[in-house]
Amino acid sequence: MKTLEIAIKDTLTRFRDWKALAGMLAAPLIISAMIGLAFGGLSSGEAPLQDIPMALVDLDQGELGQAYYDVLTSPDLETLIALERMQDAEAAKARIESGELRAVLVIPAGFSDNVIPDNEGNSGTASVELYTDPAASVSPVIIKSIVERISASINTLLLAGQVSGEQMAQYAPLLGQEMARLGEAIGAELQSSNFTFEDPPLGLEVVTTGEDEEPFDPFAFFIPGMAVFFLMFSMFEGSRSILQEERRWTLQRLISTPTSTWQIILGKMGGTFLTGLLQFAVLVISSSVLFGVSWGNSIAGLLIMVVLTVFAASGMGAMLTAFSRNENQAGVVGSAVSLVFGALGGSFFPADGLTGIVNIASRLTVNRWAMEGLLALTVERGGLADIQLPVLVLAGIGLVTFVLALLVFQKRFVK
Amino acid sequence: MTQPILQAQDLHKRYEKVHAVQGISFDIQPGEIFSLLGPNGAGKTTTISMLSCLLSPSEGDAIIDGHSVRKDADAVKKVIGVVPQEIALYPDLTARENLVFWGKMYSLSGAHLKQRVEETLEIAGLSDRANEKVENYSGGMKRRINIAVGLLHEPKVLFMDEPTVGIDPQSRRRILDTVLELNQRGLTVLYTTHYMEEAAELSKRIGIVDNGKLIALGTQDELTKLVGESDAVHIGISGISEPEALLARLNALSDIHTAAYENEALLLQASNANAHLSEIIGAITAAGGQIKSIKVDEPNLEAVFLHLTGRALRD
Ligand SMILES: Nc1ncnc2c1ncn2[C@@H]1O[C@H](COP(=O)(O)OP(=O)(O)OP(=O)(O)O)[C@@H](O)[C@H]1O
Ligand SMILES: [Mg+2]
Repeated sequence: MKTLEIAIKDTLTRFRDWKALAGMLAAPLIISAMIGLAFGGLSSGEAPLQDIPMALVDLDQGELGQAYYDVLTSPDLETLIALERMQDAEAAKARIESGELRAVLVIPAGFSDNVIPDNEGNSGTASVELYTDPAASVSPVIIKSIVERISASINTLLLAGQVSGEQMAQYAPLLGQEMARLGEAIGAELQSSNFTFEDPPLGLEVVTTGEDEEPFDPFAFFIPGMAVFFLMFSMFEGSRSILQEERRWTLQRLISTPTSTWQIILGKMGGTFLTGLLQFAVLVISSSVLFGVSWGNSIAGLLIMVVLTVFAASGMGAMLTAFSRNENQAGVVGSAVSLVFGALGGSFFPADGLTGIVNIASRLTVNRWAMEGLLALTVERGGLADIQLPVLVLAGIGLVTFVLALLVFQKRFVK
Repeated sequence: MTQPILQAQDLHKRYEKVHAVQGISFDIQPGEIFSLLGPNGAGKTTTISMLSCLLSPSEGDAIIDGHSVRKDADAVKKVIGVVPQEIALYPDLTARENLVFWGKMYSLSGAHLKQRVEETLEIAGLSDRANEKVENYSGGMKRRINIAVGLLHEPKVLFMDEPTVGIDPQSRRRILDTVLELNQRGLTVLYTTHYMEEAAELSKRIGIVDNGKLIALGTQDELTKLVGESDAVHIGISGISEPEALLARLNALSDIHTAAYENEALLLQASNANAHLSEIIGAITAAGGQIKSIKVDEPNLEAVFLHLTGRALRD
């Protein structure tokens, strides 16, 4: 009971202190926002929607290939799409991966011949291929819908009129100029000819090229990174308050009341833990509200990760404080450890790339394991099964540091 | 004589390099205000800390209300109230929040806690400003809340460690009146100070501590008798280049028992001082000194301290 009272007193005091709040909550949010914006804005690095770079690889060299070209370069689409012709499909796709192009439309060889009825009225089917950039989220959808509309219009014309190649070619400019009214025109045409959409000769294959990964959301990385980084600071600060109480004599006064030293020390450590939990909870909630950051699909996983991260961080803070000679030393050690842990443990950049001794050092930090678990939830959208190792390690760090701190403090304050 | 409520029995505290308390013993009777008078570093706080179970004695023991501080600290803590020398409060909490928190630490709760908080605020005279943060209080107000906390659980014995340090005379007067009033209502008080006027006003019995030792203990009368019938003469002087020579000359005069010089202040113990003033002044002017002030005090605790240690009580 008294333990809880002490913990609540500490937590309340901390959350009433504007300076502490700035460090615990405002700083991580502001810094993540700045880094996130530097990485290209909230909508994941999308260029403004005009002059979308796109290539047409026309291996067909027939009337239909030309029809796609004409429509895509028509005045209606001129500002939206910057189209260039390319010869080599592979080279064009490579330029998507390098970020130069958002989409590549490939008209296969023999495309026109396949779908345009010959003199006996026989025709087959064929598909155009559209490759789009996985990192972009808006432009592929637009291009896909445009290409679909072109294909659908050509289909309609082919089926309705069983037009010849020459006739088809004449339609191309029309398609281009009348894109906006195409729907109406087609509708009228369909009605007049009792048309059914049974076997459209043109298909569309949409392929997203490159590695099939979620677009990189800088916030999904930097918010957990900053949250853990600033958590360490506040856990050291919180732990240090026991030495501050010793200097102010409130600790001695506590000891002079009928309250056991265990209750007092546990209360102090519990207060830091409680503060950390609230701090992290507020960061999770405010970052999802402010930046739309998703903290993953597993609430249980997130809960466990947050509790254990705070447990390990507060245990670490308590232990280093317990071994510090005085408040000043604890302050210096706390700041240094928070910075080094942040840098090594992947609060600023992903730590997966680390090797050798740096990687080993990184694995000794609370931040590394916290980030590994949190990113498994936020970036990789994993669940409980994906955070087993970080959970175990953090629980271990927390337990060892907590018990050590408890014993050292007990020895230190019972004189 | 009744059974003492507190018995300090040969208390020692040794630190690595300092023997801070070197065998202090005294008894306090129920209902008494007992003062420990001593200069900075005498060992007052160390003694109180051992009595309030903050420090375990290196040697010796203390029995408070029948419980040993060594063996039964929990029982001792319930009957003692502690007012530390430092202002042991949470500055970012209000006075009332502080009292409520400390009340809980003394295992008070519910309506009783509420009632005690209001009563102690009343004693401190701060009921109307109870919802202000302690950090915004004046030094005197902080001291009063510091005392109020020690009273929350209605202790039998209150330890007050220099409770008037660094505050204005009015606040000091108020605190001394509070101590007297609490004592009237039956509270036993152990009071430490380095102001001899406070010890003289509050207590019948006084212990004088210096360098970790209790060098004298008794009623004021008993203590002043130690000095004999001598008076204390305070003389402010300037222009003394060789104080040793002056002191030697003064000591040679008849009826002067001790002479001490520090910071342009001369302190003499002399029998029938007024009769010897002209000789004293003569010696000073002969030594090239100019007299700024002269004050003659009848025997008091200051004189006792000087008599026992050869030093002035205040530094
Ligand atoms: N923790 C400690 N370690 C070493 N020496 C100490 C410690 N605490 C106190 N001392 C020393 O013990 C002696 C007595 O100190 P104490 O604080 O009891 O004096 P005091 O009478 O309360 O003085 P003051 O009037 O300045 O409060 C001093 O010399 C002090 O330096
Ligand atoms: Mg002291």
